Amino acid sequence: MTNRPPKSAVFAADLPRESETVVLAQRGETAALDELARSCRQQAYVFALQLTGNPDDALDVAQDAMVRFFRSLQRFDATRPVRPWLLRIVRNLIRDRARRNRIRRTESLEPSSDDVLRFEPKDENPDPEAMTVRHDLQRLVWRCLQELPPRYREVLVLRDYQDLAYAEIASTLKIPRGTVMSRLHRARRLLHDLVHERQRRTGEVRND
Amino acid sequence: MTDQCPRAFDETLISGHLDGELTQAAQQKVRLHLEDCGHCRALLGELQAMRETTISTVFSTPDDHQWDERPRGTTSLMARSTGWIVAVVWAISFATYAMWHFWQSSANIWERLFVFGGFTAIALLFISVLIDRITVARSDPYTEVEK
Repeated sequence: MTNRPPKSAVFAADLPRESETVVLAQRGETAALDELARSCRQQAYVFALQLTGNPDDALDVAQDAMVRFFRSLQRFDATRPVRPWLLRIVRNLIRDRARRNRIRRTESLEPSSDDVLRFEPKDENPDPEAMTVRHDLQRLVWRCLQELPPRYREVLVLRDYQDLAYAEIASTLKIPRGTVMSRLHRARRLLHDLVHERQRRTGEVRND
Repeated sequence: MTDQCPRAFDETLISGHLDGELTQAAQQKVRLHLEDCGHCRALLGELQAMRETTISTVFSTPDDHQWDERPRGTTSLMARSTGWIVAVVWAISFATYAMWHFWQSSANIWERLFVFGGFTAIALLFISVLIDRITVARSDPYTEVEK
């Protein structure tokens, strides 16, 4: 595993270019197809990892998702953003696998679950102590996230890790926008309570 | 922070406010409430800190060599589908022709039953797989995703 930026920024903020790439890919242009593959597979992997907590399952799911993605590319409306569609494919694949008990869920205290996180300083001259506190908190929140029920975990991941707008989350999960807001708030409260409970019990990092 | 707002304010709006997803009127309602409610101000602060933690989390991703090559393009998928259809039509025609010739031959009843039994078993297996595939295609949750 190498460390790379998680969110392939190629398409994140450049919708006209993304649309152009999709159209070229639909015409069979190899360069556009490769660009789509490179960009989307990392996004699919990171999202799958955030939902499953297991890197091996995430890689399997991401590869299956890419097959689905390219198989249905011809029917995709190129004027629409790719990301919600891609994430929906990943989410459905994970649901299918979970139904068939193929996902090996990692438990929150399993040490290997932290290996997927990558820690790097935010600024050029970081305060080592503050950085350690931040990373410990990220690790703790990540562990607690794995304990949330799937319906709360997915909405939280889509908003707070993937940074999707409510409308995009609603489109990805096929639920009303109001439900996104209420479910997200419930998920945040649950996560918040879990983190505080863990901090209280084990004396782990506090963000004060 | 497991307790609720003492003024029974709809806390869901706090998340909407944090994400900048509320209408102007709702934003104003939350702002006014926050001015007077220490509980909700504290909640907003804590949820904000949590969001900053999650949004700044970075994940490792696999090396390029860990990925399979890009999935086959549409042209090769179409060629493969066409190939399957032609192969199935050929297999059915050939099997029918061969069985017809065999039936015309001087084989005894046991030989005929043996050969026809084998062909019937293969045909039944093929039909059962076909029915499964059609059922899966009809209940495929990706039909909508692919739109």
